Amino acid sequence: MIVDVLTGGVRGGTAILYAALGETIAERAGVINLGTEGSMLTGALAAYAITAETGSPWAGVLAGAAAGGLLALVHAVMVLGRAANQLATGLVVLFLGLGLTSMFGAAYVGRAISPFQPYPVPLLADIPWLGPIFFQHDPLVYGSYLLAPAIWWLLYRSRVGLTIRGAGERGEVLTAYGHSPQLVRYLAVVTGGLLAGVGGAHLSTAYATAWFENMTAGRGFIAVALVIFAAWHPLRAVGGAYLFGAALALSPALQARGLGFNQFALDALPYLVTIAALVLLGRRRSNAAPEGLSRVFELTPAK
Amino acid sequence: MTAVAAPVDSATALLSVRNLTCRFGAVVANDGVDFDVAPGEVHAVLGENGAGKSTLMKLIYGVYRPDAGELRVDGVPAAIDSPAAARAAGIGMVFQDLRLIPAFTVTENIALALPGRGVRFQRRALSARIAEQARRYGLPVHPDALVAHLSIGERQRVEILKVLMAGARLLILDEPTSVLAPQEVDALFAAVRALRANGLSIVIITHKLAEARAIADRVTVLRGGRVVLRNADPAAHTDAELVEAMVGRSVPGLAGHRQPPGPQVAPVVRLRGVDVTGDRGAPALRAIDLDLRPGELVGVAGVAGSGQRELCEVILGERRVAAGSVHIRDVAVHGRPRQALAAGAVGVPEDPLTDAVVPGLTVTEHLALADLGAVRRGLGIDWRAVAADAARREERAGLRMAAGDRVVAELSGGNVQRVLLTRALGAPATVVVAAYPSRGLDIATTRRTQELLLEQRDAGAAVLVVSEDLDELLAISDRIAVLHNGELAGIVTPATTDRYAIGQLMLGGDQAAGGSGSAAAGGSDLR
Amino acid sequence: MTDTLVRPAPEQAKIVDNRAKMWPRVVVAVLAAPVIFGAFAAVKGVDPLAMYADMAMSLVDPTQAQTVLVRASVLVLAALAVAVPARAGLLNVGGEGQIVIGAVCAAGVGLVTDQRLPGPVVLTLMVVAAMVGGAAWAGIAAGLRLTVKVNEAITTLLMNFIAIDIMLLLIYDPWKDASGFGQPASRPLEDTARLPLFVPGGTLNTGIVVAGIALVAIWWLMSRTGWGFRLRVVGGNPEAARRAGLRVGTLLVTSMLVGGALAGLAGLVHFAGTEFKLRPGMTANFGYVGFLASWLALHRPLRVALAALLLAAIAMTGDSLQIDANLPAASVNVLMAIVLLVVLGFTRRSNK
Repeated sequence: MIVDVLTGGVRGGTAILYAALGETIAERAGVINLGTEGSMLTGALAAYAITAETGSPWAGVLAGAAAGGLLALVHAVMVLGRAANQLATGLVVLFLGLGLTSMFGAAYVGRAISPFQPYPVPLLADIPWLGPIFFQHDPLVYGSYLLAPAIWWLLYRSRVGLTIRGAGERGEVLTAYGHSPQLVRYLAVVTGGLLAGVGGAHLSTAYATAWFENMTAGRGFIAVALVIFAAWHPLRAVGGAYLFGAALALSPALQARGLGFNQFALDALPYLVTIAALVLLGRRRSNAAPEGLSRVFELTPAK
Repeated sequence: MTAVAAPVDSATALLSVRNLTCRFGAVVANDGVDFDVAPGEVHAVLGENGAGKSTLMKLIYGVYRPDAGELRVDGVPAAIDSPAAARAAGIGMVFQDLRLIPAFTVTENIALALPGRGVRFQRRALSARIAEQARRYGLPVHPDALVAHLSIGERQRVEILKVLMAGARLLILDEPTSVLAPQEVDALFAAVRALRANGLSIVIITHKLAEARAIADRVTVLRGGRVVLRNADPAAHTDAELVEAMVGRSVPGLAGHRQPPGPQVAPVVRLRGVDVTGDRGAPALRAIDLDLRPGELVGVAGVAGSGQRELCEVILGERRVAAGSVHIRDVAVHGRPRQALAAGAVGVPEDPLTDAVVPGLTVTEHLALADLGAVRRGLGIDWRAVAADAARREERAGLRMAAGDRVVAELSGGNVQRVLLTRALGAPATVVVAAYPSRGLDIATTRRTQELLLEQRDAGAAVLVVSEDLDELLAISDRIAVLHNGELAGIVTPATTDRYAIGQLMLGGDQAAGGSGSAAAGGSDLR
Repeated sequence: MTDTLVRPAPEQAKIVDNRAKMWPRVVVAVLAAPVIFGAFAAVKGVDPLAMYADMAMSLVDPTQAQTVLVRASVLVLAALAVAVPARAGLLNVGGEGQIVIGAVCAAGVGLVTDQRLPGPVVLTLMVVAAMVGGAAWAGIAAGLRLTVKVNEAITTLLMNFIAIDIMLLLIYDPWKDASGFGQPASRPLEDTARLPLFVPGGTLNTGIVVAGIALVAIWWLMSRTGWGFRLRVVGGNPEAARRAGLRVGTLLVTSMLVGGALAGLAGLVHFAGTEFKLRPGMTANFGYVGFLASWLALHRPLRVALAALLLAAIAMTGDSLQIDANLPAASVNVLMAIVLLVVLGFTRRSNK
């Protein structure tokens, strides 16, 4: 059963992981996007729809990324171009995503697609325990294995990463040396949306292989909280994402074995764990926040 | 009087500035400044606050554009219209507010400043280069250390390395020692000498005589935006001459027609052994013993950053003491503004926009904050009483405040200050703590503000005024406390002193003679 | 002196909107939204004009109009729950969860007493329970903000999901109505304990009176009491408030408690006025739409009423969209979002 749960954790956590990695980039640049949930949702729909129309889930993933990125662009324009409150705008963008996906997604409810198939990695998939848990998934999961270290490398080992993190800490210093922190932030936010869209795509074309309204059910919010929980570090987000994936997978697994843990208590577990983690690590985490982001959290809403 | 020694040929000078003028509205920050830096020299630019030193350096570094005059590098006229252009010309500047990202390592900070090649940021190679340059110039830093963990002195070294590695031949250091401990100053100077030995030129902006003497080959003194002493050899001038160049002579202040209350009058405000930590963790005040008596006005003089702000905050309960005690009327003030306010203290803040202006609130609403308890009526606020009180204050203060329904955040700086002054000074108080009250005000309002402070004093309040205008302090104070580096350098009376003597205390000229310790010149009987 | 007075240009350009220009902009904003939404509808093959005509007709219908008012009552309370903390500078995104907890507490009290005590007594007890529950739920987030500095936007958001799970947990087991069909739900509330109707047979209940009273009360609280004034000072400049001797921490916590209580009240109105039982999905995004309404109204109590009416009307027309234009009801979220985006982006006053 443990294997089942862990396998489910990896599978279920992948969507969250993509979104969290994307949001890590955005928040490192100093912008928090509560609309990540919306980007995931639009990504899920776009991927499902394009897969249904073209028969290719890969085309679907591209569409999903584009959709997620476009929605995030709205957020970026509002927050960076019009100096709107970041947290409020994120929720409004979420609503936009909810409405758009509802509007354009009705036609796809119940419609079948040819989804991503699991592709067991030769040799590795046969390793006892680790095999099923990590190496018998669809390609997007494998993609996420590569993505997390890639983003780590991007943020900490590349010149671009320096400008991203610099934009999130002290944009003025960037300006003093000829970079444009605003441009960096735009790109970071849109990239975050792109990745959230891919996460949504995984949800609809690989995990649930279905589309229905509001299918992300708060995963985007968990991703945002996860970023804070992971102290804005891409590799730590991996553990958290799989943890939540496992929590989501736990309930069906227990039910299948006839064990009577209350389903709703388990459903609430990820959120409780997140809050507990934020509380316990509270002060240290808020110290680890990029300076620019701390200012967002301190700033008060408009009068 | 302008004394010129050893004129430097602008063709051989590394940097040469002629007739540079820069205006900000009505203020002439630099007026026809001539300035040279030779290759391989350390040149100190001395002057009081507001003398125009920083402006001159920012003109050279391309942050500002001059209204008139020319600038030559290596004898060739140079159009330096941006910091990037200055850097390209080999000029580098280390600002007082270090342009560093605390969350980054030393290497990352320097990488950000250097033009880059390629996708990868060559961390190890850069770290090695940094370590090598650090060794060469005696600026020990650990390339992989987080800047946030470095002391100010170490951060400064990083800035200098950053500037060097960007290819500077001329380094400008803006008040580098103002935040350093004496040993760190020695280390810095050793590094400066190493740089000079390598053919680089260093310009140091400072107000500290002793250090200028210790390190500079030549000295230029600015006062009021003009060059008063040019390319002088510091060894050829006495302290007295240099101080006079910086602050000028003035007719000694008229003896006050009042006697300050003597030591037998019980003080209203008592500070004993007060240590205060500043925002950045460095000590801002050290072992301050100070009494304020009812019916006296104590002025506070000192160069910016000597601890004046922290002194005001500590009395008003806005900052905790790290050691010692603060009492207002025998009530201990523990870092809670409510306590100070309840004891009858009012303040005029140094930075109105951050500390006192509430966006969205009107003038009348700001005035209500003066004493909310008094205008409470049931659950609400008696706005009529507030308006009446405001009118009374306005009449008392006579400062022509904006209309009651204007939103304060939309007013100009001077008008904001008028509102805050009316609020603080328009009704009798026990203790008045005013930080730079005349800043940004026109002459008439400034005069009226000074009169208000004196009226408060005459009515029995203990008044503390921090100001950068020595003339103002001499005119209105009963006693003047001089802060230097967080310590009380001395307490003097206007009748027995002049700008020059105060200048000495402010600038630590006395300390140069080798004596350390606070309250040296003033004597403890004036406490 | 010039060195200290001259400051380098700030990194971002400040966007200062002249107050006088604000109202025309709001009007343009509210008009631009339907145009954009109409464009989306057209893409779906729906005639925008016909769609708007149908939407307008649906509002005129008396039954529908009543439903709009009923929904607006809940929305007003939910919006006020966001507005009060917002004036103090706090972001309360937890309206949804606080509404749920309010409904749960009300139901808890109501289901225990409604067959034993007279109706008005039960109602009163439920009101108190709902407000206390909502306030406590919000208070947790406020406490966390003050003690461990966790931002309240994140905690209230996460707590929404926990609240819903608590309700589901109760509905599915301890409180499950054994005689119910279909979806699990709690036993319906006795008739006597429900919010009375204005017109028997209609749908408009006295919840609108509750909302109205709350609206006036909050308006009075914010503009006529010392507490409201001090709240505004904290929301404007917490440092200035501290230096003026205000108790900033206490004010922040009390603002969240008031907000939570209002949301709890919204839960009660919805439960005892429309639903009468707890069922999955009962809160139907009231919390989030209330959040939108508060921002639309820039957190001013009286404008909140208009914003709530507007959004309730838009939400109502969602049903007509479903029937007449064959668009899913949730499509109205697009319209709401666009209105909000335009307002948020183009009608801010001074910048900090």
